[in-house]
Amino acid sequence: MTRHSLTAALLAAHALLAGMPALAQDAAARLDALDKRISRLEDLNQIERLQKVYGYFVDKGQWTQLSELFADDATLEIGGKGLFLGKKRVLEYMQTAFGPDGAKEGLLANHMQFQPIPDVSPDGKTGWIRSRAFVMSVGGWGLPLYEDAFVKQNGVWKFKRESGPFTMYTSWAGWGKNALNNTWPDKFDPPPDLPPSTIYLTYPAYYIIPFHYPNPVTGKAFVPDKAEVGAYAAPPGTKTQADWHGIGRLADGTQPIAEPPRE
Amino acid sequence: MSARFMLLASLAAAMLPAPALAQDLQARVNAYKQRVEMLEAQDAIENLQATYGYYFDKGLWDQAAGLFTADGSFEYGMRGVYVGQAHIRRAMLLFGPQGLAAGHLNNHMQLQSVITVARDGLTAKARWQGMVMLAQPNANGVWGVGLYENDYVREKGVWKIAKLHFYLTALTDYDEGFAKNTIRADGPSALFPPDKPPSVAYRSLPGAYIPPFSFPHPVTGKDLSHPVEPADSVLGVRQ
Repeated sequence: MTRHSLTAALLAAHALLAGMPALAQDAAARLDALDKRISRLEDLNQIERLQKVYGYFVDKGQWTQLSELFADDATLEIGGKGLFLGKKRVLEYMQTAFGPDGAKEGLLANHMQFQPIPDVSPDGKTGWIRSRAFVMSVGGWGLPLYEDAFVKQNGVWKFKRESGPFTMYTSWAGWGKNALNNTWPDKFDPPPDLPPSTIYLTYPAYYIIPFHYPNPVTGKAFVPDKAEVGAYAAPPGTKTQADWHGIGRLADGTQPIAEPPRE
Repeated sequence: MSARFMLLASLAAAMLPAPALAQDLQARVNAYKQRVEMLEAQDAIENLQATYGYYFDKGLWDQAAGLFTADGSFEYGMRGVYVGQAHIRRAMLLFGPQGLAAGHLNNHMQLQSVITVARDGLTAKARWQGMVMLAQPNANGVWGVGLYENDYVREKGVWKIAKLHFYLTALTDYDEGFAKNTIRADGPSALFPPDKPPSVAYRSLPGAYIPPFSFPHPVTGKDLSHPVEPADSVLGVRQ
């Protein structure tokens, strides 16, 4: 821009702002709106980042660092194990169930994180994600799903709730020959603070954890089946699914068809 | 809000010196522009690395090498460091001919990006999870996995790979699985030696090396660039 035109532009801007405070106020309001939109994108990124970093910490047994991703009053529920309340219990669960902090020679337990659908509340204080992991381990393969909640405290996003129901777990024999139906509260230490929020079976049955967000095209919410058994053999509302409620499960939630994979 | 207060407030707003108000608006626009540029940079880097993966999968070595800066470096597992596009292209030829050969599968999925763009918007770092599926004629399939810790640089507005380091951490036979079988990662090639030896000596599975994290802990801000490495029965205990 030439010096002349720059001066002219500055003079024009000055006259505009001096003469019309209302216009400046309008500009400020538009900038406020822009700030909210940019903040939302940044928040969505940060929520995705937390979920990915969680995965990297699981891979290498970085339990202390993992627990520090959680808010003090956060909850954690993985598979059919039940609910653990608070950051300290998250750490205790990880270190008791999976061993002390650190990677171990001969061990592979990668929880590759992908397909994230993050969301954030209009006030920017609460977030959610639906995402999944593909587990590649010395014990075999696994498919956890996640419906997690996040909270922004002093400008920092943290896990508020981790809900990680299993879709399928199998040994190296593969899911055509072997499947772990689920875990349950007393399957291994430590015991949970609360029983599982839902009783369900994994593959070859299936359970659909409710979506935190509506269908992006129709805008309709996903309505979970209201029957007492949370396992699905067919889509909610079908006869096959209705029949399924009374069969296929023992009182303790187990349906052992194979030895669970060892990790 | 009382009428009197509203009147005072509007008077105060009107009396604000106009240049100061303009400066305030300009400062906000500048700050938002920078934040949007950071988001755009992350997006461009995500696409750049994903594109690298798509090219590498299909043996498009010319195209993959073209994503690097002129003095960019490429390091895959324990093969050593190759510097510059010409050497990177030849390093990739060690994986098969341009375009791959019949019956080859060379999938290197690019997942789980954690991208950190520098404040000046000119450089960036990222960690990626790299699942690997390999096949070649007359041999069983191979499963693998590893981690990328890469550097990127923006040259004339275009993001390029300045350093690609794929820490191949595990390889196994398709049927045997990691518990029964681990395939040793290839070392430096005798056919086309690297420009520099491997930047880090580690063993893939049964070794359990943790590549240093390029980002701090997202909640505590603690440095993660020196993770506690596990004891290794071959290499001994690391510091």
